[in-house]
Amino acid sequence: MTGFFYEVINILVKYRGYFLQGVGYTMLIALVGTTIGLVIGLITGIIRTIPKSKNPVIRVILKIINIIISVYVEIFRGTPMMVQAMVIFWGYAFMNDGRTLPLIPAGIFIVSINTGAYMAEIVRGGIISIDNGQFEGAYSIGMNHWQAMINVVLPQTMRNILPAISNEFVINIKDTSVLNVIGVTELYFFTAKISKMTWSIFETYVVACVIYFILTFSITRILKFIEHKIDGPSSYIIHHSSTMPDESFTAKEGK
Amino acid sequence: MSNTILSVKGLKKSFGENSVLKDINFSVNSGDVTCIIGSSGSGKSTMLRCINLLEEPTGGEIIYNGRNILETKNIPAYRAKVEMVFQSFNLFENMTVLKNCMIGLRKVLKLDKENAKKTAMFYLEKVGMAPYINAKPRQLSGGQKQRVAIARALAMKPDVILFDEPTSALDPQMVGEVLDVIKNIAKEGLTMIIVTHEMAFARDVSNHVVFMHDGVICEEGTPEEIFTNPQRPETKAFLTRFMKEN
Repeated sequence: MTGFFYEVINILVKYRGYFLQGVGYTMLIALVGTTIGLVIGLITGIIRTIPKSKNPVIRVILKIINIIISVYVEIFRGTPMMVQAMVIFWGYAFMNDGRTLPLIPAGIFIVSINTGAYMAEIVRGGIISIDNGQFEGAYSIGMNHWQAMINVVLPQTMRNILPAISNEFVINIKDTSVLNVIGVTELYFFTAKISKMTWSIFETYVVACVIYFILTFSITRILKFIEHKIDGPSSYIIHHSSTMPDESFTAKEGK
Repeated sequence: MSNTILSVKGLKKSFGENSVLKDINFSVNSGDVTCIIGSSGSGKSTMLRCINLLEEPTGGEIIYNGRNILETKNIPAYRAKVEMVFQSFNLFENMTVLKNCMIGLRKVLKLDKENAKKTAMFYLEKVGMAPYINAKPRQLSGGQKQRVAIARALAMKPDVILFDEPTSALDPQMVGEVLDVIKNIAKEGLTMIIVTHEMAFARDVSNHVVFMHDGVICEEGTPEEIFTNPQRPETKAFLTRFMKEN
């Protein structure tokens, strides 16, 4: 048993440069990919919840865009990301006389459009779950659909879908590992490489396992913290109550 | 003499086969407080929602300041002038009380922050909600929420406010605080159309009562005419049933 721990520590120390580089790329691809995926989700979610227009031309255009979005969502949700990576990477090479995409941008691109397909549904679900009264309240004070969306509905949507976004982020940290099939130098790629150099396969993958867990666990904690921040304080100051003109006191939310 | 600010002509609304409003005609003068009464399902709320264009009328005209607003392109600009207060409050859950009242001033009327805050505070003061400016809607009682909603509508300095059963979602002890606020603003001469089940309040506050029955206006007149001397049998039946229940 001491031999095992010794070897684990030994690998970690000896190959810390590789592990660090792997963690760097894994986090870069996961973070940027999740963010771009969220942007894709927001754009498609907003488009797909535009109310029916009276203008027939706009209606037809929206219908076509909606079909395109649906096709995109179905295809990218319905196939494995590992296969998507191979098809996109080698498809590009096929169409460009064997020239391949640069690896890190290719990895980010694949994770982004894959996440975008899931985010599209997450955001749409988030928007339609907001009570229609929120829209009506906004309309009633003279806001247009866009203003109501930006100021009232989307902030509430973001709060509600944050747990799902956090889910996607964690999945992406783990799933960037499939990008090793096209040779992206993320954490799994380096782990496999190290295991072939040491032949201590079990010990090497234990190190990777622990690193992955630390990454995902920290991210979920950080996003939980952000959730609480968005919720704001559960108490509020009552200013100069009319019954107690000189005092202000704190009211706490009943639980 | 008195000038018509809003009138409804031949208004119709049907949901599929179900015809909810059948040929509604009435008009409101500037400064009028009009109460719309009638049993549930008679089309009161639908009519009010049609006036605010939250429901699209199937037919007819809604004339506001001489223009048929069913033909206007700029619906938001009209809504900023004809505000609505809802049964379910519809305060913005993501904003504090103060921001709820400021957002329309900032985004629709394009006031600067300082002026928006001053205006919002003035009306929050008026409805007695100034102490709660930092609270979120979910931290307030129903009556408090409705008072904020009224301040939000007032802050836009509208020509008309439409009240859609403003006290129907409230506990009995909170009804009074909201009705008092509405009575106070009625005294200031703001034009209001109020859908309500509170008959004593309707008699008190309004100078024009409309009784709706089965998608049409069955009878209208002054509160005295409607409440003490109703002409139509439907009005009599409604009021008698109402008196029995209360």
